Amino acid sequence: MAHSHHIIPIRILTVVFVVLLALTVITVITARIDLGVLNVPLALTIATSKAILVALIFMALKYDNKVNLLAVALGVIFVVVFLALTFADTEFRGSMGITEPAIVEPVPESSGYDSP
Amino acid sequence: MISADTTLKHYFVNHEQQFDAAKLGMWLFLVTEVLLFAGMFVAYAVYRAWHPEVFLQASELLDWRLGALNTIVLLASSFTVALSIHFVQKGENRKVLVLLLLTLLCAAIFMVVKYFEYTDKFSHGIVLGAGFDPHGIIDGKDYSKYNVPYAAQFFSIYFVMTGIHGVHVLVGMGIFGWLATRVARGHFSPQWYTPVELTGLYWHLVDIIWIFLFPLLYLI
Repeated sequence: MAHSHHIIPIRILTVVFVVLLALTVITVITARIDLGVLNVPLALTIATSKAILVALIFMALKYDNKVNLLAVALGVIFVVVFLALTFADTEFRGSMGITEPAIVEPVPESSGYDSP
Repeated sequence: MISADTTLKHYFVNHEQQFDAAKLGMWLFLVTEVLLFAGMFVAYAVYRAWHPEVFLQASELLDWRLGALNTIVLLASSFTVALSIHFVQKGENRKVLVLLLLTLLCAAIFMVVKYFEYTDKFSHGIVLGAGFDPHGIIDGKDYSKYNVPYAAQFFSIYFVMTGIHGVHVLVGMGIFGWLATRVARGHFSPQWYTPVELTGLYWHLVDIIWIFLFPLLYLI
């Protein structure tokens, strides 16, 4: 049974490896410098770029049957839904998270609950 | 040497179809792995959004040099795995064996570094759960100053995420050891090397998880 899969040339694998190392160095250097609000987005952008490189070349998604890419895309979409819906709750709770006694009105003794 | 025919299950039309089916199955499993870690990444994101200054401060206690070392070690292991698949496709099994053993070595280095990081944290009261009580002075950092509200949450997330990631590394080491013995016994050929391919996919995912963990926990 002769069948051939795409064999990724050593040259391409090596280039990807070197780029991944370079991006690691860049993310360390940029994190050591205070870029204010840009710190987190930049680190996440670099990490995402590295992940995409690994997925496309090392995991050969670029050369594969596209149904594998579809599976990954669906997974990523569900992660985004998970994150977005969770934040839609946790970021809009108003004063619910504030539990300091000075701010929270004490529960009346007669209510049957222990006041904090 | 197993002939190509015994590796083809009767319910597949040909090797190509069998290989694609196995790979799609592996990708679906990897998606569930991504979702497993997504739960923890979302927990990290929520707590960070609530207490950004605590997370920024607490991350100072993780040694970015060790984190960077482990990142390089895991990237190198991903590279050796990718090369091993290149050579198994060409039938150069001696090189495959060497590369898989190198991967195993990288994974072992990763776990040794993690061991030193964990024990260092434990000995200074940074533990998972109610015993959290940072103390002592290392590298000019007074750990007791880091005993602020929600610092324990950061380290709980750190231990659970890197712990579950570490379990995946240990599982990977077991599989690579098993694969190496099969390569040595001549089980794989350019016609059939599915276990090497699927283990490679698993290992790259473990690498990708760490690619995100490193900046999120150690750097920012």
